[in-house]
Amino acid sequence: MNKVKKFDIAQILRNNAVTITFVILCIVCLMFSGLQVSYLVFELFTRISRNAFIVLALIIPIIAGMGINFAITIGAMGAQIAILWVLEWGVPGFKGFLLAAALTIPIAGIFGWLVGLLLNKMKGQEMIGSMIMGYFANGLYQLLFLFIFGNIIPLSNPNLVIRGSTGVANTLDLSRKDGIKHALENLGQIKPDLAVYILAAIMILIAAYMYLYKKDKTKKPFALAGIAVLMVAVSFTPIFKNWFSMVKIPVATYVLIGLLCLFNYVIMKTRLGQQFRAVGQSGTVANAAGINVNRVRLIAIIISTILAGIGQLMFVQNMGSFQTYGAHEQVGLYAGAAILVGGASIAGATNGQALLGCVLFHTLFIVAPAAGKNLLGDAAIGEYFRVFISYGVIAMALVMHAWRTVKKKKSLASNLADASAKA
Amino acid sequence: MKIKLTTQRIVAIILAVISVALMATSAFGFSKRTSEDARKLLADMTVRSLLVNTGEGAVEAMVKIAVEKARVKAKEEGLSMSQRREAAEKAEKDARANLSYQSVDYSTVDNAPILNAAGILKNAQVEYYKKVEEEKELFIEQQQLIAPVEEEVQETLSIEEGVEEPLSIHGEVDMSTFVQSAEADALQAKVDEAYEVLTAVLMKVYPEMDKESMKTLKQTLLDLNYQSGETYESRFDRLIKYNDNNVDFRSKLMRNAKNLLLLGIFLFLLALVVWFYNSLVKSLGVPRIIIGLFFIVLCLGSLALNLNLRTLLSDTLVRMGMNSILVLAMLPGIQAGISLNLGLPIGIIGGLLGGLMCIEYGFSGWFGFAFAIAAGTAISLVLGYLYALLLNRLKGSEMAVTTYVGFSIVSLMCIAWLVLPFNSPIMKWPMGNGLRTTINLTPSYRHLLNNFLSFKIFGITIPTGLLLFMIIACLAMWLFSRSKTGIAMQAVGNNPRFAEATGISVNKMRIIGTVLSTVLGAVGIIVYSQSYGFMQLYTAPRQMGFVAASAILIGGASTQRAKISHVLIGTFLFQGVLTLGMPVANELVPQSTISETMRILISNGIILYALTKAGGKGNE
Repeated sequence: MNKVKKFDIAQILRNNAVTITFVILCIVCLMFSGLQVSYLVFELFTRISRNAFIVLALIIPIIAGMGINFAITIGAMGAQIAILWVLEWGVPGFKGFLLAAALTIPIAGIFGWLVGLLLNKMKGQEMIGSMIMGYFANGLYQLLFLFIFGNIIPLSNPNLVIRGSTGVANTLDLSRKDGIKHALENLGQIKPDLAVYILAAIMILIAAYMYLYKKDKTKKPFALAGIAVLMVAVSFTPIFKNWFSMVKIPVATYVLIGLLCLFNYVIMKTRLGQQFRAVGQSGTVANAAGINVNRVRLIAIIISTILAGIGQLMFVQNMGSFQTYGAHEQVGLYAGAAILVGGASIAGATNGQALLGCVLFHTLFIVAPAAGKNLLGDAAIGEYFRVFISYGVIAMALVMHAWRTVKKKKSLASNLADASAKA
Repeated sequence: MKIKLTTQRIVAIILAVISVALMATSAFGFSKRTSEDARKLLADMTVRSLLVNTGEGAVEAMVKIAVEKARVKAKEEGLSMSQRREAAEKAEKDARANLSYQSVDYSTVDNAPILNAAGILKNAQVEYYKKVEEEKELFIEQQQLIAPVEEEVQETLSIEEGVEEPLSIHGEVDMSTFVQSAEADALQAKVDEAYEVLTAVLMKVYPEMDKESMKTLKQTLLDLNYQSGETYESRFDRLIKYNDNNVDFRSKLMRNAKNLLLLGIFLFLLALVVWFYNSLVKSLGVPRIIIGLFFIVLCLGSLALNLNLRTLLSDTLVRMGMNSILVLAMLPGIQAGISLNLGLPIGIIGGLLGGLMCIEYGFSGWFGFAFAIAAGTAISLVLGYLYALLLNRLKGSEMAVTTYVGFSIVSLMCIAWLVLPFNSPIMKWPMGNGLRTTINLTPSYRHLLNNFLSFKIFGITIPTGLLLFMIIACLAMWLFSRSKTGIAMQAVGNNPRFAEATGISVNKMRIIGTVLSTVLGAVGIIVYSQSYGFMQLYTAPRQMGFVAASAILIGGASTQRAKISHVLIGTFLFQGVLTLGMPVANELVPQSTISETMRILISNGIILYALTKAGGKGNE
C-alpha cells in the first residue's frame, strides 16, 4: 500500500483518460479554429448558464445506481408543457418564469414518478430503459401537442397555433411582449471581476467558518482562503481582463446553479442521501439493511426529473424560443455526455465533475465546427464530429463500466474460489 | 357441459348479441339498396342535384348579365370609376334578391327526360373513365420502369432529427406527358355527345341558360353524375348535399349498411377475444392481442373509408419482404444470448458499403446484387467479429452498450460518407463534398427481387422474388438452428452456465451469433434498399435496429427467446399496421404526422414492454 505514491500519476492518467483526452482535444481544436479566446469564454458562460442545471440533475440517479437518467428528456417535456400554458395565459417576465416553474414541478414530478415505477421493473437495464422511455414519451408528447392542445383543448393565443393545420406551432417564441425570454438575465448581470470578488468573499467566509467554528485545524481552510486571494489577484491581470472582456454574468442563473450544487452536496449528508448511496452500491445489501430500495430509487428519479424540468426552463428562457417538437430530444444525450466528459462514470459523479464536463463539452461544441472547417474545409465534418463525440463518450463510458463490473465479478468469484480452496 | 357465467363471458355474449343485431340491420340495409324504391330515391336525388346545380349556374348567368347591363349604363351616364363600381355592386345585389324567388319548383319539373339523359351520360362516363384509368395505370408502370422519380433530396446539416422510415414506397410519377389513346378520344366524344343531350333537356327547365354557361358547368355536372371508382356510399354522400339533407331513416340505413357490417364484424371479433381472453393471453400475450386487434381495426377502417385495401395489402407484402431480413438479423442475437442486437447499424453499414462498391464499379442486375451482398457480407464479417469480441467482454449489459456503440459508429460513418474516395457521379453531390443522402439504385438493382416472377391475384400484387428470398433466408436460419452449432448456440442463449458445463465454448457461440446477426443486417439492408429503390446514408441507419427489434418483439419474441415464426408474424403485423395506418390516419386527421407518432409509440412501447418483462429476472 505504501507504493501507491509512485503509481499516482499513471493511476490518475488512467482514471481520467476521457477528461484528459478531451482537454487536449479542446486545446487542439481551439488552436485550429482561429476563434478568439474572449469569444470562446463569452460563449462558454452563456452555454453553461443554459445547460449546467440539467447536467447537475443527473447526479442523484447516478449515485443511486441507476446510471445516466436519459429520461430527463421527459422532465424537459414537462417544462415545455408548462411554458406553453404560461404563454397561453400571457404571463410575462420573471412572474411567468415562476409560474412555469410552479407548473413544471408537479408535472415533472408525476412524470418522474411514472418513469421511476417503470424503471423499478427493469433493474439492471435502466439506461436503455430510460432512453426508450424518452422515445416513447416523445410519441405521447407529439400526440399531446399535435392533436390535443389546439384541438380538443383550444388555445386562444394565435401565436401558438399553426393556421390551416393541426396542433401547436413548430416554434414557440418567448421573446414577444408576453414572453419570458431572459426572465432570469433581466434580474441583473454583473461584470466578471465583481463576480470574482463576491465569490472570493464567500470562500473566505467559509474558510473562516471552518477554522473558527468547526475547529478544522487542517490545511483546508487556508487553502480555500489562498485560492480566493489568488483568484482576486488573477482578476487584475491583463490576460483575465482580455479573456473575460465580453462576459456578463447573470446572477440569478448562477445563484440557482450554485444552490443546486449545494443541494446535491447537502442531500448526500442526510439520511436519504446515505440511502441513495447504499442502494447504488448494492441493491441486495441495502434491501437486507432494511432500506426500501424501490422507494429510494423512485425518489431519486423524481428529483432528477423535476430538476431537469427546471433546467429546461432555464435553457429555454435563455434561448428565447424553442422547437416545440425537437427541443427536448437531445437533452439526455448531451447532458449525459457532458457529465461523463467531466470524469464521472456510470457509478459515481460529483458536482465538480458535472461542471467541468459542462465546460469541456461546450468548449468542444463551440470550437469543433470552426476547426473542422479550417482543417478539412467542411463545417459539416465538425458538426458530425461533435455528435460522434457525444455518442462515443457515452459508449466508451458504458463499455468501461460493463468491463469493470465483469472484472469485479470475476475477481470476486476467484477470491471465493481461493477461499474455499484454502478451507 | 356446464358453462360458468363470469362477468367476462357475459360481456362477450352481450358484445356478440350486439354484433349480430348490427349485422342483421346491415343485411337489411344492403337488401334494400337494390329495391325499386331505393333506386328511385337515388335517381330522384341525382336529378335534383343536377337541377339545383344548373339552377345555381342560371342564377349566376343572370346576375352576370344584370351587372354587365348596369355597368354599360353607368358608363353611358359618364359616372366616375368608383360610382360605376357601386352601381355594378348594387345591380348584383338587386339581381340576386330578385332571382332567389325565381328558382324552379322542383315538383313541377318532368323528371323522366332528365333521368334518361343522365343515365345515358353515366354509361358513357363509365366506359370512358374505365378506359382512361387503364391507360394511366399502364403509363405509370412504364414510367416507373424507365426512370423512377427521385425523391426530394435535401442536404441539411440538421443531424439531430430522428430518422423516419420511408412510409411510401412508390415514387410519384409525372403525369404531364400522359396522352390518351384514340380509342379513349372516341369514348370521350360519346360523353360530350351525351352531355349535349342532357344540356338540351336542362335548358328546357332553365330557359335563361345558354350553351356557353352550360359549358362552364360541365365539369361540375359530370362529377355529380358519375365519378370514377364511386361506391353507393360516396354517391349517396355527394348527392345528399343538394337534397337539403333530409332523408328518412331507411335511406340512412342503406347508406350506412357497410359501416354497420364492419362494426358488427369488429364487435364479433372483440366478443371472441373477450370469451377466449385467458387462453389468448397465455398463447399470444397482451401486446400481440392489442396490435392484432389494431391491425383488424385498420383493415375494417380502410374498408369503411373506401380506401383501396388491395393496394394497401400489396404494399404490406412488399414492406414485409423488404424488412424481413433485417428483423431476421435479430434472431441469432437473441438465440446466442446477447439479447436484442441494437447495434444492428454496424451490419447495416457493412451492407451499405457493399452496395456503394457495387455502384462504384458499375455493376448492375443480378450480378450487381450478388456482388453487393458478397461485399457487404465480407465487410460485416470483419466488423461483426470485432463487435462480437467487444460484446464478449461485457456480458449482461449488452443492450445499452450496443445501442451507443451503434450510434457512435453511425455518426462516425457520417464523417466517412463525406470523405470516402468514391467517384461515381450517381453517388456524389454534383457540388461540394461527399456522398448524397439518398442514392438512386435504378442503374444498379432497384426492384430486382420485387419484380422477379411477380404476379397479380385478386388485384393484389405478389412480389414473388422478394418473398422467395425471405423464405429462403428463413429456411436457412431454421436449418442452421437445427444443426449442431445452432443447437449449441441456443443452449448458450438459454443457460450459459449449463452450456459451459457441457463443454460448449460460450464465447465462441456468442461470436457466431453476433457475426451472423451482423451479416444478416448487411444482407437485410441491401434487400431493403432494392425494394425502396434508394440507399439511405448518414443518420438513416441509426434507428433501424429499433425498428427491427420492435418487429420481432411484436411477433412474440422476448429478449431471451425467439423463433422464426416470431420474425414472420412480427414483420407482417408491424409493417401491416404502419402501411394501413398511414392512409387511415390521414383520412381521419388530414395532413398530419399521426402515423409517424403511431410508429414511435408502437415501436418503443413494445421494446419497453419487453424490457419490463426481462427486468424481473435481471436483478442482482
